[in-house]
Amino acid sequence: MSVLKFTPKQFDDFVSAMLKTGRPVMAPQAKNGRFAFGPLASPADLRLDYDVTILPPKKYVLPQVETLLEFEVCGPCRSVQEGQPMILLGVHPYDLTAILQMDELFRQGQYDKHYMDRRCQITIIALDVVTPSANVFASSMGTATVRSGYDILLTVLKDGSILADVATAKGQELIRLAGSVVPASEADLKARKDVWEHNNAALNKHILLCKPSLLPKILEQNYNHPVWEEKARLCYSCGSCNQVCPTCYCFDVQDRVNWDLKTGHRFRCWDGCLLENFATVAGNHNFRKDRAARYRHRLYRKGKYVPEKIGGQIACVGCGRCISACTAKIANPVEVYNRLLQDTKLG
Amino acid sequence: MSKPRVAIFDFACCEGCQLQIVNLEEEILDLIHVVDVVEWREAMSEQSHDYDIAIVEGSITRHEDELRLEVIRSRCKILIALGACATIGGVNKMKNNFDLNDVKECVYGKDAKMPHLNTDMTKAVDEVVPVDAYIHGCPIDRKEFGTVIRALLLGKRPPVPDYPVCVECKAKENVCRYEYNEICLGPIIRAGCGARCPSSNFRCFGCRGYVDHPNVEAAKEVMDKYGLTVEDLKQKMILFGSKQGHTL
Repeated sequence: MSVLKFTPKQFDDFVSAMLKTGRPVMAPQAKNGRFAFGPLASPADLRLDYDVTILPPKKYVLPQVETLLEFEVCGPCRSVQEGQPMILLGVHPYDLTAILQMDELFRQGQYDKHYMDRRCQITIIALDVVTPSANVFASSMGTATVRSGYDILLTVLKDGSILADVATAKGQELIRLAGSVVPASEADLKARKDVWEHNNAALNKHILLCKPSLLPKILEQNYNHPVWEEKARLCYSCGSCNQVCPTCYCFDVQDRVNWDLKTGHRFRCWDGCLLENFATVAGNHNFRKDRAARYRHRLYRKGKYVPEKIGGQIACVGCGRCISACTAKIANPVEVYNRLLQDTKLG
Repeated sequence: MSKPRVAIFDFACCEGCQLQIVNLEEEILDLIHVVDVVEWREAMSEQSHDYDIAIVEGSITRHEDELRLEVIRSRCKILIALGACATIGGVNKMKNNFDLNDVKECVYGKDAKMPHLNTDMTKAVDEVVPVDAYIHGCPIDRKEFGTVIRALLLGKRPPVPDYPVCVECKAKENVCRYEYNEICLGPIIRAGCGARCPSSNFRCFGCRGYVDHPNVEAAKEVMDKYGLTVEDLKQKMILFGSKQGHTL
């Protein structure tokens, strides 16, 4: 479709117009010296220059707690859809890649209508990274920039102007709210290409020493590598790495009854494979009770299990959040993968 | 079907957790709709020896209290420990770090030997009698109180978290206290509070007790990574973590 060029003032007006529609606009804003996605109240609070948010925007496609159905004990139940139209503004390419992966995972097999209903009502305005975060390695994972999957893609150019690449009908509908903005010129598109080329190389604070596509093969050979024990020795099993990960989608399902002891609701909430009882099943049997086994599982899932399900795309998008969030400083996937690579004979 | 009879008792504590039950306000009507409260010193005058569920608040600090608790246990089918003093001994356990005579003298001075001021080492309720369910925290969380009671009334295992506070803290998008180079007990303490203290810019004080298998060994090395010491950590664990089994 088309690429439009906004001045900062025109862009603020566009954001104001979106806010006036009454649709919630979730966008990155400052929070205690860091950044977090939250409901936007004014264009002045929007931080297009954010480096990374504490939690990824997955919290809007898969909320921490989500009611699935309401029931009567030993009686009928009624499915609950909590989704509402929403604009997700300022999603970095690596986080968009993660959402697209989740779309595929919730679509395949048992079609998850709670997820898909919510997801279909969201319009995503992606944003090329302006400020690299301390631990980002999206360049290593091939997720520093994206060419599809967004409704609109924003790129902030050096002169402060903002290009908007409108890719879908949803995006087209939204962009109508912008006043009279001009199409981007050839020079603007060249400047955007420079941003992409720069980001494709520069979002790389930790450098993976192989192509991500080699990870499944590397992992396959290292199930019993000593690194799992060495790292997991310091693991608190606090699940922080899972919580902040844009591609972790595991959830637990629980029921709660009301005081009448007759009616209640079933909800799902985020779970994490590092938590001690993640794999505890009926009868109190825990089939992954060692810290090292749980630690290994996360990195296998990112580098082998999920890629095998979704056609090869590695389920680590290089946002670096786990590296920052891990109190024990053992979560860095690049460190582990490089270590395995060193000890692997690739024939 | 008759409603289960519930009695609420208190031992050594500030009675703040019972107060949280009173603070249920309108929800108390829901509570008494499904149970008969037959004894509750803080909120009513009636007493009874006939009850199905005993809710016990406070830690056990005297021999005669142990005997009283054993009688309560013998009369109920389900015993619930209410609040940090009951579930882990609470702040009262700090005295177990010292010689008992020194403690008595420090508190009561020349009256330390008076018989009515006699006191023993502090015990959590389950160090005296078996406990069927725990409602953790200092004070307890009212919402969790309701969840545990309703689960028990339906014969289900109460859904008390077994994972660390970090889970709930991350969900709230708090900046980790360790990023401020502060010691926080969150990584080894049981969640369920909604990370209330870190969400108010305090560290986790550890009132809900340790998770089932805290990685205490990791705690030592992790302190190094933040330029902190194990001694710093120990200091922070005294308030709620004294003599709790998992100690450094």
